Amino acid sequence: MIRVSNIVKSHGTLRILNGASLEVKRGEVAALIGPSGGGKSTLLRCINGLEEFQAGEVAVGPELRLAGGSAAKETLLKLRRQVGMVFQQFHLFPHMTALQNVMSGPVYALHKPRTEAEAIARKLLERVGLGEKAASKPSQLSGGQQQRVAIARALAVNPVAILFDEPTSALDPKMSAEVMKVIDDLADDEQFQAAMVIVTHDLAAVKRIADTVHVLEAGRVVYSGPASEAFATGGAAANLE
Amino acid sequence: MDRRWFTLISFALAVACSHTPLAAQEPPPLRWGGDKNGGAPYIFEDDAGNLVGFEVEFADYLAEQLGRKPVFVQNQWDNLPASLLRGEHDIVLNGYEFSPERHDETPTTVPYYVYSLRLITRANDANVTSWSDLGNANPPKRVGVLRGSASEKYLQARFGDRVILQPSETVTEMLDVVRDGRGDIADVTVQDAPAAAYYVQSGRYPGLRVVDEPAGFGYYVILTKPGDDQLREQLNEAIRKAIRTGKLKELYKKYGLWNAAQQRLSYLAEQPWPEVAAELDTVEGEVQPVIAPKFSGILGKLGQAASMTLFLAFASFPLAVIIGMAVAVGRVYGPAFLRVPLAIYVEVLRGTPLLLQLFVIFYLLPQLGVLAEAEWLQNLLSLNKYAAAIIGLALNYSAAEAENYRAGLLAVPRGQMEAALSLGMTPTTALRRVVVPQAFRIVIPPVTNDFIALFKDTAVCSTIMIVELTGLYYQYKIYPNLVLELALAVGLLYLVMSYPMSLLARWLERRTTIGGAR
Repeated sequence: MIRVSNIVKSHGTLRILNGASLEVKRGEVAALIGPSGGGKSTLLRCINGLEEFQAGEVAVGPELRLAGGSAAKETLLKLRRQVGMVFQQFHLFPHMTALQNVMSGPVYALHKPRTEAEAIARKLLERVGLGEKAASKPSQLSGGQQQRVAIARALAVNPVAILFDEPTSALDPKMSAEVMKVIDDLADDEQFQAAMVIVTHDLAAVKRIADTVHVLEAGRVVYSGPASEAFATGGAAANLE
Repeated sequence: MDRRWFTLISFALAVACSHTPLAAQEPPPLRWGGDKNGGAPYIFEDDAGNLVGFEVEFADYLAEQLGRKPVFVQNQWDNLPASLLRGEHDIVLNGYEFSPERHDETPTTVPYYVYSLRLITRANDANVTSWSDLGNANPPKRVGVLRGSASEKYLQARFGDRVILQPSETVTEMLDVVRDGRGDIADVTVQDAPAAAYYVQSGRYPGLRVVDEPAGFGYYVILTKPGDDQLREQLNEAIRKAIRTGKLKELYKKYGLWNAAQQRLSYLAEQPWPEVAAELDTVEGEVQPVIAPKFSGILGKLGQAASMTLFLAFASFPLAVIIGMAVAVGRVYGPAFLRVPLAIYVEVLRGTPLLLQLFVIFYLLPQLGVLAEAEWLQNLLSLNKYAAAIIGLALNYSAAEAENYRAGLLAVPRGQMEAALSLGMTPTTALRRVVVPQAFRIVIPPVTNDFIALFKDTAVCSTIMIVELTGLYYQYKIYPNLVLELALAVGLLYLVMSYPMSLLARWLERRTTIGGAR
């Protein structure tokens, strides 16, 4: 479970998040939508501890809390090991193979034995449909394949929540479809109990997979509720279509 | 033609014609080459920065006799014959000893000084009290000599491999080494009698003493250019006059250099030169014949020198890489308070010559201990020459490597670090596993280039008495019969050793190119 309470984040005099709050339950798929520049990506980065925020709180699970201001290193490590992140530009490690990329979290962050990490990684690569590409370097993969490896890499640390920051916006429609299929499968998987937050402009996908929708405008969440209501006539997300 | 132009040209011609005869009447200056770094009592600077020394006064005298103005031309001592042949100066007057080979290359005047060699030891050194002690020592003694000097040749001819010669650029540098007991460099030193008289016998170096009788007598002569017979004859006449009139004796007495051996000058100067030199050698048996080594005879030494070059390069570069990487990471990712000192570190080391840095590490650091009157500090800072060379090269190149790696680190997209952190890696692990390996691949070409440059820069270590390839070349270039073969061999060895590194670099680049085949 993720609970974000009144996050305030400024760059100099520019206020990017102005008391943003939202809550995503275990196994829930939440879509974070809104106009460009509204602070969606920044909010995700605050949840993952990649951005420091001035006020508010991020809570992951019953115990882990990240408050505004500079955080303790240990808190940040714990948080990041529980909250996976998939970036718009994939950010695969180019000097590693697909398998090594997926193994990197278990080995270097969780300090699992290599054999165990490899077993996890191979299973996840199979899951995203890239079992045969384990030995390929990122440059030998298409954009869609790279993003699927990135999803496998985020899943490899077994997070309680996973954040997708516009995972298909750098891809053409065919590759976007490949990636969305993986996300759809995760959303449909009853066994997969991590909370998922996805920032996207692909509203069709939101309607298809999201349980809840959060609309962020000018640094504040102006709507949180079921996706069906958000897109209904007169709903908070209706004017975004 | 315009009348004004005609007037102007006529005037210019008149001025030119009126000055030409005047200019022809002015004799050209007598440009004499020497090296003031050789020091007292030959050519040196007094407290006021004026050039003084017995050869300076002698040059003034000769120029006066020739009706010319003396002009001193500074050059490194062992390069003086070469610069004479290039026409940079008219004569060389700086303690050059006569040898038939030298006379053939640069015709010599009659001698102006009969020199001998003196063995100088620490005042309390009981191990070496005579020349024979040098030849019988086991392990062999290290003997400091002026590079390319008569003492170097004399010791090579007399003792061969039974002594280890340590060439230096200046007399005082070696006197300091022996006085300070730096046996890893030199146990004793052999210098020309004038230097021994001026520095040691006069009491200027209380910690040193001259032992045993003089040896290796020879003659200081002036070198001239081939074909410059008129000047050489004029100089011979002036030298004879100085001997006959007692001018030379007066000069040598002033500097404490006069001794009984100088009586020979009166005889020598009046005989056919240089034929009389051979005659004297036979009669007196004093002058050691200089045996010029053959190229085949120094092949083993070439091999050793090449090994030393490799050793210095391979020992220092990994250190430079490690220090450079640490500095770069500190500058890019370190705390703010570290960044300024690290930037200063890079700028100071990058902005000062390697030669100067080596000199500071090797010669000046131990002086800190002396200044602080702390023996432990002096011992700590008295690095042996190999350690000094490796540290010097590593520090100098670490600055360049730091900049290479800094550029490499900055070239790695920021998202890479974020992706690693988002997986729960610590910043250190993220750097070590994700960012640095990528930066390393980016900087392979400039780093390899630096390694090849460092490989050649090991040549500078010859200034702290390490005999690597260039040092060996300097040691043997005094033999005209060897110099061409030696230069070619040394150049070829550098090439043969550095080319595989270029190949290795290309292979590494191909192997590690991001996204390339595995």
